Amino acid sequence: MIKIDPQSAQSAALATQFKAAPFGPYSADLQKLLQLLRWGFVRGRTIIICTKPYKEWRLGRMAPRRGLPVEVSEREVFTDYGAAAWACFRARWQEVVGQPCPVK
Amino acid sequence: MSERILGYSDRLSALPGDAVNFKISAPMPGKFKARLVRLICGDDSPEGPGFKSKNVDSEIDGTYPARHQPILAGSYMWVTARQPFDLPNFTVQAMIWPTLPGNGKPQAILGNYDAANGSGYALYIDELVCLAFRAGKNPPVSTGVKMLARHWYEVYAVYDSGTGRVVVGHNMMLTYHGMPGSVSETQMLAEPMGEGGRFLIAAWNDDKFASAHFNGKIDGPRVSGRALKPAEIERLRDLPLDVELAQYVVAAWDFSRGMSTVKVTDVSGNRYHGRSINLPTRAMTGWNWDSSDFNWQSKPEHYGAIHFHDDDLYDCGWRTDFTLTVPADLGSGVYCVHVWQKTPEGKIEDYIPFFVRPARGTATAPLALLIPTASYLAYANQQMISSWWFDELSSCKFATMSSVDQYLEEHEGFGLSVYDEHSDGSGVCYSSHLRPILNMRPKTDLWQFNADTHLTDWLEKKKIPYDVITDDDLHAEGVDCLRPYRCVMTGTHPEYYSKAMLDALQAYTNGGGRLMYMGANGFYWRIAYHAGLPGVIEHRRAEDGMRAWFSESGEYFMSFTGEMSGLWARNGRPPNMLVGNAFAAQGFVESVPYHRTPESQDPRVSFMFEGIGADEVIGDFGTVGGGAAGWEIDRADTRLGTPPHALIVAAATDFPDSYHWVNEEMNHTHSAVNGDTNPRVRCDMMFFETPNGGAVFSTGSISYGGSLAHDGYKNNVSRLTENVVKRFVDPTPF
Repeated sequence: MIKIDPQSAQSAALATQFKAAPFGPYSADLQKLLQLLRWGFVRGRTIIICTKPYKEWRLGRMAPRRGLPVEVSEREVFTDYGAAAWACFRARWQEVVGQPCPVK
Repeated sequence: MSERILGYSDRLSALPGDAVNFKISAPMPGKFKARLVRLICGDDSPEGPGFKSKNVDSEIDGTYPARHQPILAGSYMWVTARQPFDLPNFTVQAMIWPTLPGNGKPQAILGNYDAANGSGYALYIDELVCLAFRAGKNPPVSTGVKMLARHWYEVYAVYDSGTGRVVVGHNMMLTYHGMPGSVSETQMLAEPMGEGGRFLIAAWNDDKFASAHFNGKIDGPRVSGRALKPAEIERLRDLPLDVELAQYVVAAWDFSRGMSTVKVTDVSGNRYHGRSINLPTRAMTGWNWDSSDFNWQSKPEHYGAIHFHDDDLYDCGWRTDFTLTVPADLGSGVYCVHVWQKTPEGKIEDYIPFFVRPARGTATAPLALLIPTASYLAYANQQMISSWWFDELSSCKFATMSSVDQYLEEHEGFGLSVYDEHSDGSGVCYSSHLRPILNMRPKTDLWQFNADTHLTDWLEKKKIPYDVITDDDLHAEGVDCLRPYRCVMTGTHPEYYSKAMLDALQAYTNGGGRLMYMGANGFYWRIAYHAGLPGVIEHRRAEDGMRAWFSESGEYFMSFTGEMSGLWARNGRPPNMLVGNAFAAQGFVESVPYHRTPESQDPRVSFMFEGIGADEVIGDFGTVGGGAAGWEIDRADTRLGTPPHALIVAAATDFPDSYHWVNEEMNHTHSAVNGDTNPRVRCDMMFFETPNGGAVFSTGSISYGGSLAHDGYKNNVSRLTENVVKRFVDPTPF
């Protein structure tokens, strides 16, 4: 199974590709990378919270079980859904790879 | 996040003269306001037609006292008789299959314990995942041995008042090396246990409420008025009861009786019957199921288990705040009761939808919009973001919570959809409308109810007269409720069908009716309505299909009716037989346009393309993914029942890899399963004539309705649809 190599130029290129077009179309290699970032339950991992319909998004995460407050990040507010998706991509990269995404 | 004002009605479909009771929970002190509106369009997205409603003067307009109405989720069983279980000596026993031991809470199996005053007794699984017994204010007695999830155990507690001795123990039905199969713990009780409360199974009393809900299956619960020996306990596992021991049995509940009901039968001869609360799942394989039969009706003795869940919910049971008697002149349509309260931040509001049909047996228009209420229930309060481990892989997006998602995540107890798993990971089989359904509302995601308002919006804009009828009516009345209409139009995603509903639509089209199938992935899953309980459906994720979860082996047959659930295609009736099309693929990133085929030049469909160019791309626009073909798509297949004379008049094939082929067509796993590599990932628009002058038009796409309003309703999707409506309401036979 492939692994994301945070040091490789190809990984950085794929991240750049996602940043440029967060909703695709994706290259086959980017699709595989996204599958690694998206595999499994999202509880406890970074997700996107729509805080104003069609207008505002933030990052957040669900608590360990239903019935508890969702953690909504106060750090960044996105008025573009694509920008929120890119921020989520970077957060997931950190969670899955264990190192920051090399692309800012 | 802030609290919501919430409500529901006791019926979704109403006739003129019907009384519809509305139940409201308003969080702010003081009053709340209510009014009636006719809903035209619920799509408030920037790209959409906008939210549209019309105020309707009615008797419910006004101000009402606000009150909080609680939701008490969690299933259990209670026994009406109380005194027989206040016993000097006793044995309680059951077979159990715990599914969430270790959830940090006590989980009661059976007894009359009342936590509010610490009286009575209960056998339960404690917070340390061990079988335990508690009586009165005595310290609990625990085996001290952790139990395994999803394993069958025989559990018991024996009390002898003469000695004060309690024995608590379990026997594993499947043993493992190095793990004791039978354990027990003996202790003395110093204090009297008190008379306790109601005798409950799968919960204990907390004054008049129930708490300590059990998650898992319980089979064969027994209460005996004697301190039995271990060998005697084992002899009482089976039914009929051991002849020698039967005289000591106070109650022996046989859950395999009355599986379609909420009744629970005591077969001891003492008739200490009970009833289940909040619809725990019945017709579940019991401890003795051996795969010799897969249908509970053939071998009910192997289906003596009920699966209880701490998040089961059937009926909130809220009190009525006001009643609308549907005026005779109201007019058929989609209506909402709009309730609201002022808050320091502004206003909180809810729109509670219901559907007004014309007087039974009559029509006020030649066209009926068939509201897919059964499918609305299937998705009611869905929480796929947390339930699906594959949610992002399916949608090809990072999970994005709406305010509805967030509220349901943060507030337990609203009940789940058949897309969800219970807290113990088992699939949800029942869904009712006797609860606030936060995603069956205007101003929510464009899916099911709110997406269907694209159709009402378009019909109103085009001034096309229409009535509405619902799945509830179709199931209850069959083809009779369709006969007054020349044409029936479906919603965008009529996915869940009972046999009565499918029979009715098939009889309608065979009898000369015209059917406009305005969506995709329709007529896909087989469901059942309950014969006695209003407002609830059942579904099992049997055998195949795009399943949110898997039914367990042996649990494919529905408790409500005994019918096998799962796909209609696996029940011998693929959707193609009714509408030509069947579910082919899904993807939720973008939609694409249709292209006309050579078959669209056939004179049989010339009416459909009046005003549309021969090479015109159809629907390269729309609010649902930017195209008319998308989200979920259907394709024709004569092997599955598409009529041989059907014309595929347009097709969409340019789907990206975010579209995933349906797995019921994939007999063997392989790599060509996406839109960019799989030729079966396609969307067919279709027409065919039916016997007796009828016809069917299939869009094969969920996103189709989202294209109707584009460019001020002047577009080729709107034109094509209008052409079809005009011809389909024309009585001239096809």
